[in-house]
Amino acid sequence: MSDEQKPVAPPAAPPGPPAKAPPKNPGMVTFTVDGREVIAKPGTNMVDAAKTVGVEIPFYCYHPRLSIAANCRMCLVEASNSPKLVPACQTAIGEGVAIKTATPKVKESQRAVMEFLLLNHPVDCAICDQAGECKLQDYYMRHDHKPSRLERVGGEGTSGMKVLRNKRKIIGPNVVLDQERCVLCTRCVRFMDEVAKEPQLGVFNRGSHEVIDVHPKYGALDNNYSGNVVDICPVGALLSRDFRFRARVWFLSAAPTVCTGCSNGCSVSADFMGQDVYRYRPRENEAINKSWMCDQGRPTYKAFHASRLLMPVIGKGADAREATNSEAVKYAAMKLKPLAGSVAFAVAPTVSNEDLMASFAFARDVLQSKTVYVTGRAPGAGDNFLMKADKNPNRKGLTWIAKGFGFELKTFADFTAALDKNAIKALYLVGSDVPEDAEVFAKRLAGVELVVAAAMHETPVTGAAHVQLPASSHIEDEGTFTQEAGITQRVRRAFPPRGESWPAWKWAVELGKELGGAAVYGTSREVFRTLAPQVAELKDYAWDKETPMNVKGQGNQTLPAGADGRPPGWREQGVPRIRGI
Amino acid sequence: MAHSPMTDHDDAYDPTPDNSELEAHLQTKNMVINLGPSHPAMHGTVRMRVELDGEILAKVDTEIGFLHRGFQKSCESVTWTQVIPYTDRLNYVSALMNNFGYLNAVEKLMGIEIPERAKYIRVIGAELHRIADHLTATGALGLELGAFAAFLYGIEARELVADRVTELTGARLTTNFGRIGGCNRDLPPGWIEKTIKTLDRTIELADEVGGLLTRNRIFTDRCRGTGVITTEDALDHGFTGPCLRACGVNYDIRKAKPYWVYDRMKFDVPLGKNGDNLDRYLCRVEEIKQSVSIVRQALEQIPPGPVILDDWRIVLPPKEEVYSTIEGVMAHFKLVMEGVQVPVGEVYDSTEAANGELGWYLRSNGSGRPYKVHVRAPGFHILSGVGKMIEGRMLADLIPTFDTINMIGGEVEQ
Repeated sequence: MSDEQKPVAPPAAPPGPPAKAPPKNPGMVTFTVDGREVIAKPGTNMVDAAKTVGVEIPFYCYHPRLSIAANCRMCLVEASNSPKLVPACQTAIGEGVAIKTATPKVKESQRAVMEFLLLNHPVDCAICDQAGECKLQDYYMRHDHKPSRLERVGGEGTSGMKVLRNKRKIIGPNVVLDQERCVLCTRCVRFMDEVAKEPQLGVFNRGSHEVIDVHPKYGALDNNYSGNVVDICPVGALLSRDFRFRARVWFLSAAPTVCTGCSNGCSVSADFMGQDVYRYRPRENEAINKSWMCDQGRPTYKAFHASRLLMPVIGKGADAREATNSEAVKYAAMKLKPLAGSVAFAVAPTVSNEDLMASFAFARDVLQSKTVYVTGRAPGAGDNFLMKADKNPNRKGLTWIAKGFGFELKTFADFTAALDKNAIKALYLVGSDVPEDAEVFAKRLAGVELVVAAAMHETPVTGAAHVQLPASSHIEDEGTFTQEAGITQRVRRAFPPRGESWPAWKWAVELGKELGGAAVYGTSREVFRTLAPQVAELKDYAWDKETPMNVKGQGNQTLPAGADGRPPGWREQGVPRIRGI
Repeated sequence: MAHSPMTDHDDAYDPTPDNSELEAHLQTKNMVINLGPSHPAMHGTVRMRVELDGEILAKVDTEIGFLHRGFQKSCESVTWTQVIPYTDRLNYVSALMNNFGYLNAVEKLMGIEIPERAKYIRVIGAELHRIADHLTATGALGLELGAFAAFLYGIEARELVADRVTELTGARLTTNFGRIGGCNRDLPPGWIEKTIKTLDRTIELADEVGGLLTRNRIFTDRCRGTGVITTEDALDHGFTGPCLRACGVNYDIRKAKPYWVYDRMKFDVPLGKNGDNLDRYLCRVEEIKQSVSIVRQALEQIPPGPVILDDWRIVLPPKEEVYSTIEGVMAHFKLVMEGVQVPVGEVYDSTEAANGELGWYLRSNGSGRPYKVHVRAPGFHILSGVGKMIEGRMLADLIPTFDTINMIGGEVEQ
């Protein structure tokens, strides 16, 4: 380069937009929502950011765990850096931007979106399972509340001009689709693609013929996670075949509990009415199941009702007769007493930590047992997402507690070997699940002089017992479960135990009392507080504080209180404790 | 020798009292009797523990609570609309005024204005029930003082009013009329003419009652100068309505703070002077006439138009919309299942009920059910002054006094 061409001093910067001010909060984005200042991480979308200051932006298609489609247009808001309305779910916040969510322009947009969504919606609330937890209903009242402007050709009571589609299409073993109710938010399509990793659902046709349907390659929605599309469907288009027409949701109350179908221990809400559970819904838990659960776990609530052992039975075979609880305790104690010291102890890792601890304490302090035979369910199919091969929900807890109580763990193979050798004279059995055919196992028990079984179900195993003590399910008592990765979760009592059943810990306590043991606990809370200090892993667990009942915002949807205004679950908890009554 | 006890007293024993004993003051003590809770003159179920010095009332201790139903708590566990039938049971003689008073407070809390026609219907309904209430109070006053005929005339008029109310609301007593945002139904066809005839007859019958009582010597003697309360005491106790106006205080909420369309009505507020039973009775008799005049004016002025707002967030959609459009069925579902969403806030609002200021303190937490409902029942404050009115007077004065304060168990004990 020559000297002449050497550039002179650079000219002054051309007048343009002034230099951007440095961010008000370095590393964060500061902006305003309806005049209120919000500080959020860069990349946060407007829906989530607005929520932090209590501003609720409506949406159908947005789901925090799915990719963003921004197709429902319900979340359009005004932003100071855009001449048009912007979708709040898709738009990342910008420094200094002012968002307005309640201007006439936004409100009119929301009203218009609602009107379009309802244009072809069938008049179905009365027969729709989603009624009561439907976002169309919620947002209609909040953002539209105007009469229909659709011409009703054919007179009152006809569908008029509404586009008719397939009303009840069974698309899989668990899910039924009503294409008329669908708002085409594509949450289900995205879920199957991104979470279940099997894109079985898709959007077919175009324009007003657009529908959700099963991809022909798959033929049916039979993925193990198909039930979740029912939960995330914001309207009543995808419905559970199991739950459909069984209960109106406003009569149900939700109790936080865990799924005991496998050792993953997904957090769920058990929706119940009276002493019946009607469905499981996944409850949000970032550490375990995010917002999902598998189709294998979903129907496991049915075990609370099916073939339950509801009365104690004493005697065996032709001598068997039903007895009262105290009678059964006395009878079992009378039989156990002469055999103390030679009673074997077997538990299934399907019961709660409280049941385990009380039973271990009883076995150690009263029965003078040093070993525990572990029964439980046989391993099954697992996948690399939520379903685990080990079908026992509390094996981890059992291992911890056995260690804490100084027990030697023996396998089921050891157990059957000992039984076959007639090395076991008497047996105290907690839980009736065995990892082999129950009939086969029952035959092995034939040689045992005394079998006392505290179990939930009537099975050939309990049939082989000399004293059958009905145990309650985990939904019927407070307790904790420890899942495979060592996360302990609290379950809450939904309703009192069915029939005459008692929790397994109570049977252990009552038997212990009858046999002269020192342990007296009245509640599972007392069991935990007294015995957990012996278990290193459980002793610091905040039993009282974990998973409170009736907290708004757990799971996908929160249920309203009883339709008559009483708090959720009032019917089930019996007469309230009022002083003087 | 055995000692005989008689020997000591042989001289002293004399069964005849001496003079000083005969002239001594008669030793008596006050007698305590219960008036009620189940007594025909104790309207509702009120117990009065009355301490009598002869026939003089030494002390009157009123005990309420026998008719307590947990009204306020019941209201807090149902939706805003479902409270309306509970309000019927406050002053059950004039349920419409309770319905409308509650609705007025809710509407004030929500900041909504009801249609003109609905305001007129509320004025008509409230005044009809004021007539019914006053007829009952005056008739029963006569009845309990032995003038049975007056009661029959009063009840005949009240029956006519009850028939009109039945035609309007569907119920004689528990009207459950009016909804948030207006009225749930319009005046039935031909109702206005029938009501005017009813008013004509009511005036005749009220004159009969007045004729039988007002110039009746026994009646006036028992009412004049009995159950007197001074203006200061009345104000201190929170008296309102005819009981306060009988003391000469010109306070009527319809004039002091006109609501609905009372500012368009020409009517006088009758005032007493002495604050005794007679003045309270005369105030009521005159108020019947004024109410008749208000109803006539309202029936003349009532404009055509809707009787309830057209806002599906507040008012149920018409049934044909519910059955044939999704918008209608959704609005219906949400209103019935979750209730009208009343914005967060609190309000005190009052209307002039038959016995005085019926006040409502309502608080909303933004949900479909009230967070707090408190009722200022006029009878409660008046009942608190009953001791001041009759202590030191004759037992017989208690009956007319209790009649003219017209305490209603339903609203006082809630």
